[in-house]
Amino acid sequence: MNPSVALPPARRLTDLLSSGLDARAKSKREAMKQARKDEDQELVARTQSGDAAAFDQLVVKYTPRLYGLVYNMTSNHEDTNDLLQDVFSKAYKAIRGFRGKSSFYTWIHSIAVNMTLNFLKKRGRRFHLSLDDVDSSIQNDKEFLELTATSSPVREADLSELQRRLNEAMMKLSDEHRAVVTMFHIQGMPHAEISKILRVSEGTVRSRLFYANRQLQNYLDEFRKNPVA
Amino acid sequence: MDEFDENEIAKLLRLKRYEQPRPGYFDNFLHEFHRRQRDELLRQPLWRICLERTHDFMFRLNVPSLTSYPAAIAAVLICAAVISLRIYQEPEIARVAVRSRPALSATTNAEGEWTLASPVATRVFTTRSLRNSSESARAHRAAPPRYVLDSVPVSYEPTFKF
Repeated sequence: MNPSVALPPARRLTDLLSSGLDARAKSKREAMKQARKDEDQELVARTQSGDAAAFDQLVVKYTPRLYGLVYNMTSNHEDTNDLLQDVFSKAYKAIRGFRGKSSFYTWIHSIAVNMTLNFLKKRGRRFHLSLDDVDSSIQNDKEFLELTATSSPVREADLSELQRRLNEAMMKLSDEHRAVVTMFHIQGMPHAEISKILRVSEGTVRSRLFYANRQLQNYLDEFRKNPVA
Repeated sequence: MDEFDENEIAKLLRLKRYEQPRPGYFDNFLHEFHRRQRDELLRQPLWRICLERTHDFMFRLNVPSLTSYPAAIAAVLICAAVISLRIYQEPEIARVAVRSRPALSATTNAEGEWTLASPVATRVFTTRSLRNSSESARAHRAAPPRYVLDSVPVSYEPTFKF
């Protein structure tokens, strides 16, 4: 006997509705992803045939996203700027060898992550936080409003203090763990995409994420005990 | 609840998306990228620029795919030539040894003189060594050296002189 038949009709209806909505959202996401891929493929092909303006379009398109990735791994604006310039320069030189086995999105993110990890290994612990300004639109963010309403440490700390604490906690993570946290929590990438970029299994991504969350919890626990240090 | 749970940490981290560089940074980024590319190009030596241009040109023509078959044929021909040269240049020791014997012999007929009776095809020849190697060595040592003064044979001299 099929177990789903035994469920009450209301339950089955909500399940069907939610699964239908999920499927629709998923198909919409897939369609957007495919459109992005097609557009990128065309721009890559034009760049490979010598059209430098096509590469400029790729630079404009991916700069904000890659900036977020590199910045949240380095916590320094100047380093991020230099690294990002190097990433695009390297990509431009190597784009002739790009055969499209992965998407351009994955390829450029791989270059950015690898170059940033190499940079962080060289830099070691010699760094200072040079944080960007928090955009004022955060005050209207639903999640921010929820956090300030429910969490006393967040409510009591001002924004810059919260930002500093978060970045300090992030910088206490290892470079590899920070990369995973940045891509998953901040950039909102799925596990599968992260595993492709880092060239590790999805299981490794999940375990790194679990370990990093635990560490962040421990670091921020101090913030809970003493909100305004 | 004051303690951060995993969900709250995730929400806090998502707020980091609001950290943005100074206004206009992304607008200037492309100009900065072009400027750096130009600077990098000027720092490069001339030979590298030429090499890169040539590489780009070859890439655009897709030369590797065009040259693959002729290159393969040329490689095969070169290999064949090298192998055949090696085969033909091997020393023929056995043949040299066989040919060296009749060099020191002269031919005579069985009766000691020529006869018109027997046809050329059926004539029987026997070989006899002119002198053996020890005789030859002795003769060379005993006789005074002879010098050839005139290299033109007598038979080549003109018969009639005016």
